[in-house]
Amino acid sequence: MAELTVLSYRCGKSILHKLDVRFKLFFLILISFTVIKAEFTALFFISFVLISVLVYIRFPIISSSKDLRYFFILILLVFFARAFSTPGSALIEWRFIVISKQGVYEGLLVCWRLLLVVLLSLSFVSTTRPSEIKAAVEWFLIPFPFIPRKRIAIMMSLIMRFMPVIYEQVKDTADAQRARGIENRKNPIYRLIKLLIPVIRRTFEGADDLALAMEARCFSENRTDPVLSSSRKDWIVFFVVICLCIVIIKI
Amino acid sequence: MNIIEIKNLSHSFLDGTLGIDGINLSINEGEFIVIGGQNGSGKTTLLKHLNGLLLPTMGAVLIEGVEVSRNIKKARQIVGMVFQNADSQIVGETVYADVAFGPENLCLDRQEIEKRVSTALELVGLTLHADKRPHLLSGGEKRRLSIAGILAMEPKVIVFDEPFSSLDYPGVRQVLEQIISLHQSGHTIIITTHDIEKVIAHANRLLIMQDGKVVRDGMPDKFLQEAEVFGVRAPCATRLGVEVASWLS
Repeated sequence: MAELTVLSYRCGKSILHKLDVRFKLFFLILISFTVIKAEFTALFFISFVLISVLVYIRFPIISSSKDLRYFFILILLVFFARAFSTPGSALIEWRFIVISKQGVYEGLLVCWRLLLVVLLSLSFVSTTRPSEIKAAVEWFLIPFPFIPRKRIAIMMSLIMRFMPVIYEQVKDTADAQRARGIENRKNPIYRLIKLLIPVIRRTFEGADDLALAMEARCFSENRTDPVLSSSRKDWIVFFVVICLCIVIIKI
Repeated sequence: MNIIEIKNLSHSFLDGTLGIDGINLSINEGEFIVIGGQNGSGKTTLLKHLNGLLLPTMGAVLIEGVEVSRNIKKARQIVGMVFQNADSQIVGETVYADVAFGPENLCLDRQEIEKRVSTALELVGLTLHADKRPHLLSGGEKRRLSIAGILAMEPKVIVFDEPFSSLDYPGVRQVLEQIISLHQSGHTIIITTHDIEKVIAHANRLLIMQDGKVVRDGMPDKFLQEAEVFGVRAPCATRLGVEVASWLS
């Protein structure tokens, strides 16, 4: 389960924990867009602020970096893709491979932005209960009457609930197949099919059981709405974040 | 007073298999019933009729005198069901959210939901785990969480489908203690199991099912010895000719 702990809520008493989830979700979207537009100087500034926030909310940065190893690999791939594909004056040249100065610059910029967006999302997820996120999404969908917001909210909640269960099923199935020597088969497609079929079957069977269990507990879309409330504190932080975003764009 | 009345109940599945066949049963308020039988004897199919998860092909099920099919929501409120696989019953992303799921479906106000959730969590001893994600709980804790989810709906009858399956000894004891305290607080308890030894010392009625029919119905000590004829393992104590002791003693 370690792979999933980085994305879980951590109890705390910081301001971030206490802010109204609707504001937090708005801040997340706004700051992410600002980060995408930011240049190096602004990125330094945002990184400093973000790391301070992560330390303040007691986010375990070092232990979480292990959980984020696959993301770092992805970032590395993005960097190399940029470095190799962006035209410009050559920094390293070997046979037909050319790494341009502009490519390295672009690659660093994109990777840094991506990393900041991910860290921003982690600070949001670790200070917000999944039920609050669900409630905020439900609230933001109120102006769209043609979208079944309650159904979407319950689907979100079920995804959050069942991701670890499905992950565990994949692990169990993979272990059971390794115990029967699947590693001797070198064809990756054969191995993938043999893994996917039982996992999908079990997932569908689980979904049937889940539907029955929900029915037994009187599930309907006409349910009690979640309670959301904002205070003066949220509006103060709102003002600060807006100012911050303007400063970042101006840098 | 009969809280559940089953009249000539039969159920055939889509492929034509007869799940249960002509069952007549009356269950009084406050009873503690164990339904034994081997796999495929129709225990779970019978239970699913009590809260309208399955509807009869023939016959009727009455809860507090009202036919289940007439008011399914009411039947589901009165008869809470704890499923065999706790993992597929837990729908909330946290322990608290899962217990609140039922009351939210009943459209109760937020204050009442909070009251019911805290009471239910306290009853099953999971108050300290309220913010935990359910997949991090132990097997016994997950089963207790399923019970809390049902308790928050304030049912009169609680139906357990194989409540001890895949639990270790401490897990079995925790769940058994919970079931007994629910019975003592006035709930009617119905348990299906193929291993009756774990719970039979506390039951006041034993039903044995075979091929979709109730083949024995009465006080447990009356026919425990012949249970094995119907594919149900008799408790060790019965084989030795002594009184069956509780798993909690």
